[in-house]
Amino acid sequence: MSSKKVTVASDWLAGCAGCHMSFLDIDERLVNLLQVASLHATPITDFKHPPPEGVDVGILEGAVNNSATEEVAKRMRERCKILIALGDCAVFGGIPTMRDRGCRIEALRRAYVESESTVDGKVPDDPALAVMQDCRPLDQVVDVDVYLPGCPPSADAIFYALTSLVEGKKPQLSGKLLDWH
Amino acid sequence: MSESALVNITINGQAVQARAGQTVMQAAEAAGIHVPGLCNHPHLRPEGSCRVCLVDIERQRTLQPSCTFPVFEGMVVQTDTEKVHAARRFALQMIFSERSHYCMYCQSSGTSEDTDCELQKLGYEYGLDSWSYAPDYHKPWPLDASRQYFVMDPSRCILCRRCIRACSDVVANHTLGLRQRGARTMISADDGSPFAESSCVECGTCLQVCPTGALSDRRSAYMGHNAQVKRTPAACVGCAVGCGIEALTRDNQLLRVEGDWNAGNGGLLCRRGRFDVVEPQPKRVLKPMVRRGGTLQDADWDEALALVAERFAAADTVAGMASPRLTNESLAAFTCLFHETLGSSEVGLINGEVPPLDLGTPGRLQDIGGADCIAVVGGDPLEDQPVIGYMVRRAVDNGAKLTVVNDSPTALEPYAQLHLRPQDISHNGVSPFARLRTVYHLRVSGISQLRSTLEAAERPIVLYAAGMSATVYAALRALPRKVGFLPLVKGTNAVGALRLGLTCRELRGDALYVLAGDDMPGEDNGWRPRDFTVVQAAYQSEWTDQADVVLPARIWSEQTGHVVNLEGQSLPVTPLVQAPKSVHADWETLLQVSMRMGNALSYDEIADISRAV
Repeated sequence: MSSKKVTVASDWLAGCAGCHMSFLDIDERLVNLLQVASLHATPITDFKHPPPEGVDVGILEGAVNNSATEEVAKRMRERCKILIALGDCAVFGGIPTMRDRGCRIEALRRAYVESESTVDGKVPDDPALAVMQDCRPLDQVVDVDVYLPGCPPSADAIFYALTSLVEGKKPQLSGKLLDWH
Repeated sequence: MSESALVNITINGQAVQARAGQTVMQAAEAAGIHVPGLCNHPHLRPEGSCRVCLVDIERQRTLQPSCTFPVFEGMVVQTDTEKVHAARRFALQMIFSERSHYCMYCQSSGTSEDTDCELQKLGYEYGLDSWSYAPDYHKPWPLDASRQYFVMDPSRCILCRRCIRACSDVVANHTLGLRQRGARTMISADDGSPFAESSCVECGTCLQVCPTGALSDRRSAYMGHNAQVKRTPAACVGCAVGCGIEALTRDNQLLRVEGDWNAGNGGLLCRRGRFDVVEPQPKRVLKPMVRRGGTLQDADWDEALALVAERFAAADTVAGMASPRLTNESLAAFTCLFHETLGSSEVGLINGEVPPLDLGTPGRLQDIGGADCIAVVGGDPLEDQPVIGYMVRRAVDNGAKLTVVNDSPTALEPYAQLHLRPQDISHNGVSPFARLRTVYHLRVSGISQLRSTLEAAERPIVLYAAGMSATVYAALRALPRKVGFLPLVKGTNAVGALRLGLTCRELRGDALYVLAGDDMPGEDNGWRPRDFTVVQAAYQSEWTDQADVVLPARIWSEQTGHVVNLEGQSLPVTPLVQAPKSVHADWETLLQVSMRMGNALSYDEIADISRAV
């Protein structure tokens, strides 16, 4: 193993942040991991965007569902050597695809107008906002190197994948680590 | 080559002896070599549609589906090579890509250890961590939730066609088929109508064989994976067929009922036996109740039992009526209470009909499906004993000749080749008009027709109901010896009750004891209230409304004992869930009543009597 630490950055797209919670669930092993890897930008730290000079490993959670998430996905792809699709949404499309199964307008109305906690709601229409797209898994937008399915993937699976990459091996999930239910 | 001839084959380098006619998959499984599959099901005919069971057979041009490929002498098979694995992975990828298998919101989804989905299980086994071909979830396949008890989500369907085979080959209902072609193919009921408006009878056999979450049971969904539930073999007490069931329970809750493939019913169940029995019923009787000032009010056991004993001792005449749904043990205790303690023979059943049981060789349920000639004399099995109705239709599908003898149209009539009226067979062929028939070339009398059809058959069976005239039964008795007879009994344990001397008849008495169990009033109340009426029942109903004293009783899934089905077989009734603490077994309550009247009956005596039944 080289003395230089493996650099890691993560970001999230259309997801629920649950995969990042699972990432944190690797608990005290995080300390061991940080001895061989350095964590750069993540949505849960102060730095939000991966550095322009790039990182070794990029991690993306969530599906691509609009122009904003598409941009985030493409930027991460440009700035990392190995891209991990983290969780069922990034791997398969997941829960966010439900939006497209019925009528999209209805989904927007339900969220912004009809929801019980909303008073005088309005579907946002500012032209500066992201444009909706078909909700799709990450690999339909950018090339993905490692798939980590699961809702969320277990902390063990995430730890296994990252330590494998640090050791220079491609992770091959099987058994309990693959459970994507 | 006969069916039993042995064939030598090699599987993965291991010498295996298979029976001629077996498929490669069957031979491999018998030798302990597992071959994965999705469309195959041990109790359905093979179809070969999923391509997951592909194996490498020497000198075959391509990989072959092992579930349909028959063994031959000298065959060399590889089930576990990388080539085979790659083909299986590809097949799984194709299946996943065809629909929207978003496991995270499917009730069958689980871990590699507890998933109920056979597709997901194979996905894990073959290391699928992503989809090579992204599915198009925009495909318009709406959920069909029109049926009361189970839902179909076509976007989880893998077109294995197990449901179609179950519907056609097992239930012989022929509701399910395929519509459209290629990637648009989908399971369809009749002409594509919603299931509830189709010819579907909601027997749920398709639900039992579905490998994924495409069909899911509303009641038990999300209540536990198969790995977490307990499966208990038991007998259905819905009707006198007494189908073998597997009851799925968890934490003292009955979740679901499945048909036992190895019992006489061969996995079949009807809507009543699979679903209705699990449905929550009206309000349960949990405490004794006594009528005070015109209204029923809660009472403690002592007060209620003392009142029953006092009023029954004071009554001039007493009568007892029991439901035929109860076990031999309950009925035996009831009979003892009346015969020995009360000295009354006015004890019988609320309902239930048993035709004469001595017409000839008794038939077995299994005989129906394999019969080549069936006569249904009276009754309407598709309505009253649906599983028998399904078996009859299955036999007809396989070429059996069906004769229906009935005055009124029955649900089986469309499948019959010969229709007769009871009077056609009631004179044993020698009616006063026989000569006239011959002279004027009128059709031969019914009994001759029936006799000749049954005589020509190898495995004939007669199903007959109660309520026919004595001459009809006499005509049936005179049928050839090879004919098997199966009575279409109404009332689950009516045969057991009959052996205890209980029948459905008019009963006289000033004080009436109704042992209802979990039975409910049908269209006809079954009895009228007397000067003093006790109802021992599990649920509140019109019956308990009319009572002076109400005593709690257990329901079918809490009972222990035996029932006798229409074959005359004694079936154990196993408790599947615990009864509420305040609710005692029928015999316990009845022994209490007897004791308070000064006669201590023992359970051993009752057990002896029911064992004799």
